[in-house]
Amino acid sequence: MDMTGEYQITAPRDVVWTALNDAEVLKACIPGCQELEKTSDTEMNAKVVLKIGPVKAKFNGEVELINIEAPASYTIQGEGSGGIAGFAKGHADVVLVEDGEGTILSFTAHANVGGKIAQLGSRLIDSTAKKLANKFFDNFHDYLSNDDSEEEEPTGQ
Amino acid sequence: MYPVKYHKATSIADAVAALSAGDDATILAGGQTLLATMKQHLADPSDLVDIRSIDGMAGVSAAGNVLTIGAATTHADVAGNADVQKLCPALAELASHIGDPAVRNMGTIGGSIANNDPAADYPAAMLALNATIVTNTREVAADDFFDGLFGTALDDGEIITAVKVTAPSKAAYAKFAQQASLFALVGVFVADGAGGVRVAVTGAGEDGVFRQSGMEAALASGWSEAALDGVAASEDGLMSDLHGSADYRAHLIGVMAKRAVAAA
Repeated sequence: MDMTGEYQITAPRDVVWTALNDAEVLKACIPGCQELEKTSDTEMNAKVVLKIGPVKAKFNGEVELINIEAPASYTIQGEGSGGIAGFAKGHADVVLVEDGEGTILSFTAHANVGGKIAQLGSRLIDSTAKKLANKFFDNFHDYLSNDDSEEEEPTGQ
Repeated sequence: MYPVKYHKATSIADAVAALSAGDDATILAGGQTLLATMKQHLADPSDLVDIRSIDGMAGVSAAGNVLTIGAATTHADVAGNADVQKLCPALAELASHIGDPAVRNMGTIGGSIANNDPAADYPAAMLALNATIVTNTREVAADDFFDGLFGTALDDGEIITAVKVTAPSKAAYAKFAQQASLFALVGVFVADGAGGVRVAVTGAGEDGVFRQSGMEAALASGWSEAALDGVAASEDGLMSDLHGSADYRAHLIGVMAKRAVAAA
């Protein structure tokens, strides 16, 4: 399944790019992320708890940044195993475009979920994946917006 | 199923204490979703806190035109209750068609509402009837209670104790059931009551239950099937899955809304 989205962020592109490459920021923004440990400049190990309704599954996985075109775009991809619950993998192409003082972040994401968790009803998987993708970028947007307010007066926009 | 500790709570305070003492404790209200999930090894709570035998948790009472339904009242008991049948027959009818007999005799109204499955029947009724959800700490309007896919306004450790429904002048629920699960592929609850004319849709939205404001406006100016003729349900924000595409669901919303209006 494919998902797309676009966010306006009131921070310069360099700042947004740095945040997108900061493991601490990613950890704070990935829904349910409990651990995110850098294993190289572009690779990380992640532990994520996926909670959706009654289902609670722990995923261990790897996150990698590829196709890096600093500071304009990259692809973030991940693959995780939830043991008996199944597996999840996906990637998102993230593009940053300068927009005056701010930045427009757009993404195209693709996710695959398999195993028992997918059998539980594909009626839930698509909605859940969309919800999680949007949550990540919402969190990311909020993170940068909050960070900004210390330096700049809100413009009321 | 993984090992789990079972607590039979005797009071709300007892239940709250057991919930906070457990490592990863959860409420058992009927178990018709939770136990099935645990058997699949997709949930692994440390403790189950059974709230069904707490005094006053189950049963229905009526005062004037207001029904108070205890959170641990089973679907079968709501369906068969004389007060519900008299004051809000649409709710009794809805309860009589939830799942199968096993689900109706174990599942509870509080459990269904707290779970807020995007295809469950009760959330549509609560929203359309402008019901009040009563918890151990406060009362929440249905409009403020349901919050996206499986999301609710409930805080950690907060327990639904009852729901309050004011008898509507007209109401009905029409469901197009997904045949294997008997969940709503699309369900539409229409009501003309304390909250005005309301149309709530379950089974279709990516974010769970929602109100169809276009249909509400059309029905407010004239309660008839014909009033809905010009109102097309948008497929934006609707689910697509192997049971039905978003445009199919959008079409079904129109068909089910008309059936409900005709039956009310």
